[in-house]
Amino acid sequence: MPLPSALPLPAIENLLSGGPDNLFNYLVLGALLFAAGIFAMVSRRNAVGILMGVELILNASGINFVAFARFGGHETGFHGYDGQIFALFIIVLAAAEAAVALALVLAVFQTHRTIEMDRVDELKM
Amino acid sequence: MGSLTGASGALLAARTMLATLLFWFIMILTVASAVMVVVARNILHSAFSLAVTFLGVAGLYIFLHADFLAAVQLIVYVGGIIVLVMFAIMFSAHTQEGTVEPPRSILALGAGAIVAGVVFAALAMLINRLQVPFHETTPRAQWQKLEGRLYVLQGNPHAPGAADQIKSLSAEIAALKKQEAYRTTVSAKPGEYALGHVLLGEYLLPFEVASILILAALVGAVVIVRKETR
Repeated sequence: MPLPSALPLPAIENLLSGGPDNLFNYLVLGALLFAAGIFAMVSRRNAVGILMGVELILNASGINFVAFARFGGHETGFHGYDGQIFALFIIVLAAAEAAVALALVLAVFQTHRTIEMDRVDELKM
Repeated sequence: MGSLTGASGALLAARTMLATLLFWFIMILTVASAVMVVVARNILHSAFSLAVTFLGVAGLYIFLHADFLAAVQLIVYVGGIIVLVMFAIMFSAHTQEGTVEPPRSILALGAGAIVAGVVFAALAMLINRLQVPFHETTPRAQWQKLEGRLYVLQGNPHAPGAADQIKSLSAEIAALKKQEAYRTTVSAKPGEYALGHVLLGEYLLPFEVASILILAALVGAVVIVRKETR
């Protein structure tokens, strides 16, 4: 027989319990960073600016992983460190991605003398 | 004694208030600097704002009891990636505009605003709909609650279905106690110990694969930027 959930409260009241240091605030911050990163990726002309948007998005996902690891892990059978491990791997991936992407930026600059993505249009007729 | 507890209570309240203020300060700093990263016209200002954003995220990791991650964030992001970004900006700044980006077109700004707005709205709806009781809870609190129910059931063993419920509750309590025992062995030491235990135990294969990835990225970066010489 399935057990009823431990706390049958409505969502927001539940999330806001426990002062400002609660899951809701971290998730909203993560969403804001993610939206800012998307905006930078879509609208920036400078390739390095686009890369900064990607870094913002990766940070947003890291915040979400760690917040869920602290506030939500135990009921799903994880021991609360899985989220931190995932955030750690995200940082590793971000470092590798930044190294390769900045190398690409330099390679583009060497051939085109600019890193503005609007003007790097060699394939256009 | 009464004055003593009053003093410690006031101290606790002051500490809580200080932590709250610090939390909101870091939150606002992170969001404001992230916005600066996006809107600044000089790409160098963007890079400095990005460093502040990374510092803010490191502070939030400390608030989330992830001290090791905060240290890694500082070392890898602020100490590594920001420096790489600065290098890329400096190497590619030999154009007539320098580091200042020409104004973005209305089309690009509009498209960015629409996409970012839609993504944020979707995420906000998802956050608003979260139904799972996400709160800090320990296995001990859970099995104690379940044991209370088990006690009630055992007091009335002839009710319909009671035997099955007792069985499932007992199994659940045993699982929770096992989880608690694991967590106490792991968390008797600082959180970094537990993290290392998990990283080099359960997640050993991804850990090793990550080293191959970093090697590949390193070699790839060198191959991409090197000058053709023949």
